[in-house]
Amino acid sequence: MLEAINLSKKYGEHQALKSLNLNVPAGETYCLLGQNGAGKTTTINLFLGLLKPSGGKTLINGVEVNMDKNTTNSMIAYIPEVVQLYGNLNGLENLEFFSRLSGHNHSKKWLVSLLSKAGLKEKHHTKKLSSYSKGMRQKVGVAIALSKNAQVIFMDEPTSGLDPQATAEFTAICKELVSEGKTIFMATHDIFNAVNVGSRIGIMKEGELIHSGKTLDLTAIELQDLYLKTI
Amino acid sequence: MKKRTLLIIAKQFCASVFKSKAIYLLVLTLVVLLVIAARSGVAYYDQNHYRIDHQQMARESWEGNPDKHPHRMAHFGTFAFRLKHPLSIFDFGVESFTGNAVFLEAHKQNVVNFSEASFSTGLLRFGELSMAMVLQTILPLIIFFIGYSAIVADRENGTLKILLTQGAKWKEILFGKALGLSAISLLFCLPFLGTITFILLTEEHVVQDDWMRFAIIVIAYSLVCFILSFITIYVSLKSDSSKNALVKLLGLWLLMVILVPRTSQAIGAYFYETPSKVEFRAAIEQDVLKYGDSHDINDPFFKALKDSVLQANHVKTVEELPFNYGGFLMSKGERISANIYGEHHKQLLDQYRKQNQLTQWLAIINPFLALKNLSMSVSGTDFESYVHFQEQAEDYRYKLAQKMNSLQMKYITPNPNDKTKGSQVSRDQWKSFSDFQYTQLTTEAAILNVKVSIISILSWFIFSIALLVYGAKKATAI
Repeated sequence: MLEAINLSKKYGEHQALKSLNLNVPAGETYCLLGQNGAGKTTTINLFLGLLKPSGGKTLINGVEVNMDKNTTNSMIAYIPEVVQLYGNLNGLENLEFFSRLSGHNHSKKWLVSLLSKAGLKEKHHTKKLSSYSKGMRQKVGVAIALSKNAQVIFMDEPTSGLDPQATAEFTAICKELVSEGKTIFMATHDIFNAVNVGSRIGIMKEGELIHSGKTLDLTAIELQDLYLKTI
Repeated sequence: MKKRTLLIIAKQFCASVFKSKAIYLLVLTLVVLLVIAARSGVAYYDQNHYRIDHQQMARESWEGNPDKHPHRMAHFGTFAFRLKHPLSIFDFGVESFTGNAVFLEAHKQNVVNFSEASFSTGLLRFGELSMAMVLQTILPLIIFFIGYSAIVADRENGTLKILLTQGAKWKEILFGKALGLSAISLLFCLPFLGTITFILLTEEHVVQDDWMRFAIIVIAYSLVCFILSFITIYVSLKSDSSKNALVKLLGLWLLMVILVPRTSQAIGAYFYETPSKVEFRAAIEQDVLKYGDSHDINDPFFKALKDSVLQANHVKTVEELPFNYGGFLMSKGERISANIYGEHHKQLLDQYRKQNQLTQWLAIINPFLALKNLSMSVSGTDFESYVHFQEQAEDYRYKLAQKMNSLQMKYITPNPNDKTKGSQVSRDQWKSFSDFQYTQLTTEAAILNVKVSIISILSWFIFSIALLVYGAKKATAI
């Protein structure tokens, strides 16, 4: 579903990404680990088409991102570390706006069901987003991805700053999305969550993918050891 | 660029702004300012009733004179009152600093008196609250305040990435937000324009031409709203933080609204000096004296004139002339002094125009200045409109003086022994000389006077669109 071939990115003299090769099959959750500045967010931005690669290419479902951005955009959704959106609008209004922006014209009833599916209680739907907690905002972000029926959801450190309950809720939502056939590509520092939600993990260091493999046979402690040894 | 996406973004921008409580505080402030400005505008314009009444009183007084010597009537004189243009309710322009009534008499070009400034405390120089002033000064601040974070905040909090991954293109985001901001700024203009429409509809002296002028004002202010909105979005796009965007826009406002207009006036006055009132009068006196003194029988110029007149009429004394020589002499003197005054006045106006030219040309780089100039001119409250009144008043004064001189030549006896003519003229003659009728500068002339400003506003409109297109090409979400 996701493919990076010899992907590299330079910011001036700084080599942020060095010949990254990556393959994420559909229906998997890929967690990218690494220190700050390792190249995780750059990788996501390259997949999102927000950056032009200095070398190599990114493909989503076989379509090269920089060749046909309209097609790849229709397949993806993005959830940032903090979903701010528009604080003056309520959750439902935000969802309606972003859903219409992606070309959909869902009914209010459908949008309400999407927010509920993302785990946002109905009493919060019509409250201003500025009154939401971080976890509630993340749920609106998930609902936006659902409204678009995105096949791939990119997440940039989605659980950072979430309390354990919100993290657990978020993890449950991610698992449900994957069970529906969605692919999740997540950059995270949260090793325990990576083991919990990820089917594959990658560890990056200074723009290079040092380790990539399945998480099935790893415990959180083992992954932590592997991570610490790798970086 | 998809029209649908553009409208979705514009609509969302407006919705987001109107969901904020701060906007209602701004609306309230603007409404209060509007009420005060509209009240002042109507009160100022209401002076027209007094001016019309006084013009009528002056006329009645003129016509009420008994049979008299015409030269006494020439010095009895009359008044010319400048009527305000209906759109002066909207834009006071320089009206408060220029006079509005002048006493017209033979041989003398009096100063136009009774400016608002002369009847107020010096605080008037800090500016009056007109509807135009609010729209030119306060509205840009509101536009900047509403729009400064439109793009940069979305970038700061990652929403921009979501917008782009949802399929919106940069052009759609920038123009969508710019259109949303423009729509809000136009909404802010609406109560002002609505108030003017209502006032014009209820005013009795409004003609079709005034509506055309009003349409020009509506178009000009709307275009400037678009320009400011587009520039705000561009600055927001190019700033690395919301704070920086706000500082840049406030700096722009300070420079364009306060510093450039004031500095240009000061520089203009420095490079093109104008004489003081005393110097101006003294220079005219000096030039008139160069011609000679009509009261001195030995003055070479007037002696030569008399000799030539006597010779042409084949007589030896002025008493033998078929007309009153005194009237002839004054007619000649009036023409000479009027020409000299005209020449000096033209030079003075040229200096003033040179001073203003700097401001006019700076309008090319400053759309605020362009709007100010255009607004004043179309509202009939600019310097040229005032000069137009001065010229009409002087023209009327000259005709009045010459008419009295011709009456003297024709009806007043040159010879006290000649009983066929008297020393007075019938009062019917006063009525036959038509009253002063002030006509406003034509719309065409008003537009031509500010062609640079019109070109500036149109150019800025195109430039601001191009700026956003360029910005969209170079924009990055990170």
